[in-house]
Amino acid sequence: MAGIGNLSFEETGDDEGFEYGKGSFVEHACRYCGIHNPACVARCNIPSCRKWFCNSRGHTSGSHIVNHLVRAKHKEVCLHKDSPLGETILECYNCGCRNVFLLGFISAKTDSVVVLLCREPCLNVNALKDMNWDLSQWCPLIDDRCFLPWLVKVPSEQEQLRACHISAQQINKVEELWKTNPDASLEDLEKPGVDDEPQPVSLKYEDAYQYQNVFAPLIKLEADYDKAMKESQTKENVTIRWDIGLNKKRVAYFVFPKEDNELRLVPGDELRLRYSGDASHPAWQSVGHVIKLTAQEEVALELRASQGVPVDLTHGFQVDFVWKSTSFDRMQGAMKTFAVDETSVSGYIYHHLLGHEVELQVVRNTLPRRFGAPGLPELNVSQVFAVKTVLQKPISLIQGPPGTGKTVTSAAIVYHMAKQGQGQVLVCAPSNVAVDQLAEKISSTGLKVVRLCAKSREAVSSPVEHLTLHYQVRHLDTSEKSELHKLQQLKDEQGELSSNDEKKFKALKRATEREILQNADVICCTCVGAGDPRLSNFRFRQVLIDESTQATEPECLIPLVLGAKQVVLVGDHCQLGPVIMCKKAARAGLAQSLFERLVLLGLKPIRLQVQYRMHPSLSEFPSNNFYEGTLQNGVTVNERQTSGIDFPWPVPTRPMFFYVQMGQEEISASGTSYLNRTEASNVEKIVTTFLRSGVIPSQIGVITPYEGQRAYIVNYMSRNGSLRQQLYKEIEVASVDSFQGREKDYIILSCVRSNEHQGIGFLNDPRRLNVALTRARYGIVILGNPKVLSKQPLWNGLLTHYKEHECLVEGPLNNLKQSMVQFQKPKKVYN
Amino acid sequence: ENVQVHRKNAVEVVDPREEEDFDRELRALLQESLDSRKLELRARPTLNMMIPMNIFEGSTKDTRAMEGESGEETMDDEGSGSGGGSTKVRVKVLVKKGSKQQTKQMYIPKECSLIQSTKQKEAEELEE
Ligand SMILES: [Zn+2]
Ligand SMILES: [Zn+2]
Ligand SMILES: [Zn+2]
Repeated sequence: MAGIGNLSFEETGDDEGFEYGKGSFVEHACRYCGIHNPACVARCNIPSCRKWFCNSRGHTSGSHIVNHLVRAKHKEVCLHKDSPLGETILECYNCGCRNVFLLGFISAKTDSVVVLLCREPCLNVNALKDMNWDLSQWCPLIDDRCFLPWLVKVPSEQEQLRACHISAQQINKVEELWKTNPDASLEDLEKPGVDDEPQPVSLKYEDAYQYQNVFAPLIKLEADYDKAMKESQTKENVTIRWDIGLNKKRVAYFVFPKEDNELRLVPGDELRLRYSGDASHPAWQSVGHVIKLTAQEEVALELRASQGVPVDLTHGFQVDFVWKSTSFDRMQGAMKTFAVDETSVSGYIYHHLLGHEVELQVVRNTLPRRFGAPGLPELNVSQVFAVKTVLQKPISLIQGPPGTGKTVTSAAIVYHMAKQGQGQVLVCAPSNVAVDQLAEKISSTGLKVVRLCAKSREAVSSPVEHLTLHYQVRHLDTSEKSELHKLQQLKDEQGELSSNDEKKFKALKRATEREILQNADVICCTCVGAGDPRLSNFRFRQVLIDESTQATEPECLIPLVLGAKQVVLVGDHCQLGPVIMCKKAARAGLAQSLFERLVLLGLKPIRLQVQYRMHPSLSEFPSNNFYEGTLQNGVTVNERQTSGIDFPWPVPTRPMFFYVQMGQEEISASGTSYLNRTEASNVEKIVTTFLRSGVIPSQIGVITPYEGQRAYIVNYMSRNGSLRQQLYKEIEVASVDSFQGREKDYIILSCVRSNEHQGIGFLNDPRRLNVALTRARYGIVILGNPKVLSKQPLWNGLLTHYKEHECLVEGPLNNLKQSMVQFQKPKKVYN
Repeated sequence: ENVQVHRKNAVEVVDPREEEDFDRELRALLQESLDSRKLELRARPTLNMMIPMNIFEGSTKDTRAMEGESGEETMDDEGSGSGGGSTKVRVKVLVKKGSKQQTKQMYIPKECSLIQSTKQKEAEELEE
């Protein structure tokens, strides 16, 4: 084995012809500076990365390898084969943890033996104290932003001078570039295009080709970003709990820590579970689908193959995200269809979507005598107006402010469309939750509804299971004679079929699916689901898209290009829009929905005006500030009175208050989010007071704009709550964004940001404030720092509103006092 | 090439803002790593930390004798880089390959706290 002594002679041998910083000449050359002395470099061990870096600092505060790990948030390292330890992945001797930020050396008390041990938990295991190890001198692997120089040598001054001098800015740039192009080199930074902004979206387009030319690159950007982000999320040392599902398939339960607020697993996501093998187990891997996420933040993964699963093992598994391009492919496909197939949408819709002047067209339909529908609540005036208007127009927008009965109105529209006999109606929404809700409502009118789910979500439980296509296929014909039924049973029992039977099974299944779909009055699926091959031969003249303001344009286009002649977009552009991860694409306008652009083009949305959710005191501010005061209350104060609930509302007739908080904000552990400990502890106190007064956990929702705070509150309540732990676990704590479209009886909003010098970040978006303020039915408590929030005009207005109604308070919860805190002058312009 | 000249003259100054930004991210990463492990509510891991006896094969139990044999207290003659001419001590690094234990050799500067305590203990033991 080579020691450092041997290696030192290799320092600067035959460098002739090697261009430093050009990357690929020597595989193990530092990707920042080109240094390739094996004693001085280490390889990032993240499978999607595997780049080499040296341990010199150059002009930066940390060494190159540490710089890379920090900037890329990678945490594993492998040493060079010619380094003192040979090709070695650095890991905890005891538990195998590979996170270099947790590793350090300890030595034996009496012998010259050292091992790597992780700081948490292994270094803190009590039993270790009694062993022959000296724990007092745990020596971290990364010290002073550099790897221990005796493990990974710092290149000599000479080597450093000859190397490419990379600046911190260049490092940040190239790291950013690697997220989408892992093979990029430093020269690529200079190339035109990398820093260029894509062409932004416009209001009008010449034709569908121009439209495609603008949107296709934006979708590509978002897809690349999504892919890079998800594929870099490999988790090591995952501990598994094995189970078997009702369908006899293996289910693995494990915790998939959210390191960043970027990746959120959702049911249907595909993950790969791996075991690298040991003396008694061969290496193994299997792909599966996430079927649910438990309240304890555990992931349930249903494995595709049940054979050979190492169920006797629980520790040391790896999990990778398997990225799928399906949704992006379908958007691109829809844009292409929109451009090349003139039957994809009617001429009127084609020109209208592109912003061309078109003569107003009236759809000649015999209107029904009453606009309600069986099985639905009676419609109010604005809802009737919406249904009536929509049925006569080829394109219409319905704006549904919070709690105004969008779903009921949509269901009534779909009911009447279906009764017109123009073929099946396609009903979509970007989210599965919204599709399920709509499917249920429409089905209650008596129409035949089929809910088409993605194949990957068939195992995910659904509130409308009986409407799903896969359920109906299984239950259509269960007579003993049915060939499909027989094969299905055989498959369930054996796990798989012979290839001949499988072929037969597939053909029979396809035919049955087709039959069920053809017999439906209405087909419901997500916007992306409308691109499912099982619908490719179907045509839909009438399409309704709910939550359309939360879909990107190309996403909205997927259901439209199946032959639309009459389109209804439902949504609310005063609430949050689609989530775009790639900042470049968002800046270029991908976050603007089709609904919004149509509004900008002059198409006036029909607004539903009566809200049935909020206590009238709670709807007052949102109505005045987001809906020009047009929101009327469909519920009375009495209907939202909380009898028997003893909660210290400062003004008992107004179940709301702004609770003044002066606690400091902090950067969360992920470094990308914020938390506020004081607010979290007061959230717990408010929750406990609610629970004590007889409110049950499912009535309470805690919302906050920051993932860091969300995680902190969950953790804090389960540790510090004075009542039974289970009660706190049942309380939903979520981001404002994920609460859009939902409601709770009581809402506690923790604002988090409390910093005199910086902005208020997420809270600056009026649409987010609107969503946050309109979730509660009976009461709302807002926690925040008025000094900071009052700088923003809209928040200033909100604070003034609370103050005027004597609902701005401070002090302990059992003795709330009016707060005299001074507001700051708001800045004039909205940001 | 003029680039070379430029490099020679380059003063190695780190931008304080960059340093602050970097430190913040590094601290966050450290904290996040710690938190993610602490949050695992599972039981403490079992220890498998016995030092295998075969490490000392071919030598007596007295480690000092072994040191004498191999003479690992060599002078670092590299002259540049990290050590700056310090004396290095050879240690055995215990690693696991799968479930098998292995040892590898490595040199650690004498001043390193890791070595100090061992040396101290050895000295104490000698006095006994
Ligand atoms: Zn990396
Ligand atoms: Zn380097
Ligand atoms: Zn460990």
